[in-house]
Amino acid sequence: MADRLNTLEKAAVIARECDRCGNCTTVCPLYAEKDIESSAARGKNNLALGLAAGMLEPSRRMLDAANFCLLCRTCVDNCPTKVETDEVMIALRQHLTDELGGVTLKYKGLGILMKSRTLVRLSAFAMALMRGLGVNGLAPRGLVPSEYTRRRFLSAYAGPALLGAPAAPSPSAIDSSSRVAYFNGCGMQMMFPDAAACSRRLVAQHAPGKLVSVDNRCCGLVHLAHGMRNDFIALAKENIRLYENTDIIVTDCASCSSTLKHTARYFDDDPQWRERAQAFGKKIMDITEFLVKSGHTPQRKTGARLTFHEPCHLGRGQGLRKEPRELLKAAGEYVEMKGADTCCGGSGSFHLDFPEVSDRLLDKKRDNIEQSGAAIVVTECPACLAQMQKAARDSNGRFVAMHISQVL
Amino acid sequence: MISEEIKQQLRSIVGPDHLLDSDIDRFGYSYDSSFVPFAEANKPDVIVRPADTAQVSAIMKLANHHAIPVTARGTASGRTGGSIPIAGGIALSLTRMDKIIELDERNMMVTVGPGMRTMDLYNHCAEKGLFYPPDPASWKYSTIGGNIAENAGGMRAVKYGVTSNYVMGLEVVLADGSVIRTGGKAIKNVTGYNLTQLFVGSEGTLGIVTEILLKLIPMPKARNTMQLMFPDMEQACGTIHSMLQSGIVPAAAEIMDQTSFQAVARHRKLDINPAIQACVIIEIDGDSQDALQRQAARIEATARRHNAIEIRTAASQAESDDIWAIRRGLSSAVGGMAPNRFGEDISVPRDAFPQVVRRIREISEKYGFTIAVYGHAGDGNLHPSVLCDMANPEHAAKVHHAIEEIFDAALAVGGTLSGEHGIGITKRPYTAKALGAASIQAHKAIKQALDPKGILNPGKIWEHDAREGQ
Repeated sequence: MADRLNTLEKAAVIARECDRCGNCTTVCPLYAEKDIESSAARGKNNLALGLAAGMLEPSRRMLDAANFCLLCRTCVDNCPTKVETDEVMIALRQHLTDELGGVTLKYKGLGILMKSRTLVRLSAFAMALMRGLGVNGLAPRGLVPSEYTRRRFLSAYAGPALLGAPAAPSPSAIDSSSRVAYFNGCGMQMMFPDAAACSRRLVAQHAPGKLVSVDNRCCGLVHLAHGMRNDFIALAKENIRLYENTDIIVTDCASCSSTLKHTARYFDDDPQWRERAQAFGKKIMDITEFLVKSGHTPQRKTGARLTFHEPCHLGRGQGLRKEPRELLKAAGEYVEMKGADTCCGGSGSFHLDFPEVSDRLLDKKRDNIEQSGAAIVVTECPACLAQMQKAARDSNGRFVAMHISQVL
Repeated sequence: MISEEIKQQLRSIVGPDHLLDSDIDRFGYSYDSSFVPFAEANKPDVIVRPADTAQVSAIMKLANHHAIPVTARGTASGRTGGSIPIAGGIALSLTRMDKIIELDERNMMVTVGPGMRTMDLYNHCAEKGLFYPPDPASWKYSTIGGNIAENAGGMRAVKYGVTSNYVMGLEVVLADGSVIRTGGKAIKNVTGYNLTQLFVGSEGTLGIVTEILLKLIPMPKARNTMQLMFPDMEQACGTIHSMLQSGIVPAAAEIMDQTSFQAVARHRKLDINPAIQACVIIEIDGDSQDALQRQAARIEATARRHNAIEIRTAASQAESDDIWAIRRGLSSAVGGMAPNRFGEDISVPRDAFPQVVRRIREISEKYGFTIAVYGHAGDGNLHPSVLCDMANPEHAAKVHHAIEEIFDAALAVGGTLSGEHGIGITKRPYTAKALGAASIQAHKAIKQALDPKGILNPGKIWEHDAREGQ
């Protein structure tokens, strides 16, 4: 019980910074779709405060309202007092989950799947099999996306000279003694194996001789976001241990890198783990950051017209806005689309929970991609990439979607 | 309580998706942007979201028949509790009525629904080279209907006036559901009472505004922003006063004390010279860049005479936006400095501004509260924010005395309780003192004539006795 109050009190401490002005209503992508009070940050923060003040009782409906949040941090960026509504929602979901008697079956299933390395591998295998058999289109809501591979990209856009050309020498900005490791996120492993292989190659290219191989665990964002905080803590501890003997940990999933970088925040009250968590967080590098710091130059600039969908966890989550664009400008003919940093509606399992709203957000995104005239929309997060592939499918071949590692 | 049968009738008017009555929704529509604490009694029974005038009219007929309270609201960005449904009943959310109905370029007028956001209206007109000047600090998210209800002001009032100066006509649904139109596009119009201006600033107590006709002016061709820093508030006020006296009328002249701008600096990671005690932000506009430069030079010379420490003229739109972001973020940033903030909105004759600021300093020392002061020095409207912790019994016991003394200071120099936020519920206890008993009687007579059952936003503006109900 003390723990539960503690979770709610944590949410309330942050939410109390809310001045109830309403600035968030102008930027929240969900409020634009459903303009009622509980959609935007003001309404959500005040739910936490209403609960803390005893004005409201915990209810499924309230949990639904807390789940109706993309955790995209657009409100945080635009808030005069920078209230971290995403943190409030994570804590509120945890509190309500505990109060209402545990995690619902759907999230529990997802949590169990991603907690186990074996199950992630099995799913990856099953999805590969489905793609191989060409039956992945039967999976609901694009959960088994067909990947547009680097090979197809090269054959479509690269001149023959590029194929098989030696990698350009790279003036490495990473310390020559750095022990570098790749963090293979679950989404990348299960849904986008070609992209993950490209990332692995890029990491290896800039860590010659010092590449450490680690069989990592899930970053735990799914668990954290859906009231399974204990699982998150357990996974984080395992990852901290697994990567003890590395200096740099590179991940090609914006949600993983953003979650892992913030690990220490969840060990504030644990003196035993606090410092280790801090040290771990400092090692994390998103792949775009890693490649820019390593001075990566793509093998050759292709004629492909590229645009970038900026994952929430990359731009707002880590302030990495210049890096991916810099890399893409070197890789092809880069065009910035309108609203590049607006959430695509993927947001972990949001697109499963609220398919209609998610589809509407994605339709807007697709319009913007089409208007940019790009042939390829590039992104750096498997949830976003799955959404982008849905958009590509709906655009009837006007563009394809790829992971950034595949075009560099 | 509203019966299930009435709810069903309301649903058939607006459609089942646009009536909300879950506990979390009722709670979500029980507060606004004021410091009024949450209360069970402030939860509406239902939230109804009409799409057009006909629906509003049908809702009012039903509500009037059953004597159900109706409190209109836009985005609830008000600072005085004006849109809080303290008598329960229906919270009438007008955000779906957010369209431009007509932009009449030849007459330079625009007709708009009450739920449109002020900034969207501004942008829509600006695309055609037309200018809607009133810009309350909340213009990004406040609605034009709310601006009408509170007669919102803003930064540009010193040169361009406030909302009421632009309202040419209204469509209003009265308490019994009948629909009237006031005013019109004729610039001269003296047929009948000036009902338009009666509804402007009436805080939703006399009718529901469903359509608004606004006049526009040509967009100034050039605009720039200056930021002036001073060693004290006296010099800052003196600069603005000297400017206005010498015939320089800036589009906006905002002042803020050290406590205020430090609150924003905290969030924007700015380093500010500790010798600076006051900051003035000025917007200048005119026909050409040349004209602007001449104005800027004269302002700079005036500021130098008043010992300005720093003078910055924006070199780009981005820099200009940056300077304004400081001012626009003020209210919320100051609010975040203490558990409770009582943000006031007194307005005084322009030349009394420095005197009132001095008086507020004395009140701050007397009661031991930090009082952040910022506001529209150009038009005499200032926002003292009393920072306190209501969980501390000592604070709770004396904060209202401090506020009352601030009001007294304003009234003593011929000023008023509220310049632009309205009275709502937070300033209700002081209206009798500000207006006098006979004036309150006149208010009540008007209310009685237009809303005999007292269903429109009950309990606002003046203290209601038991007989009037809440």
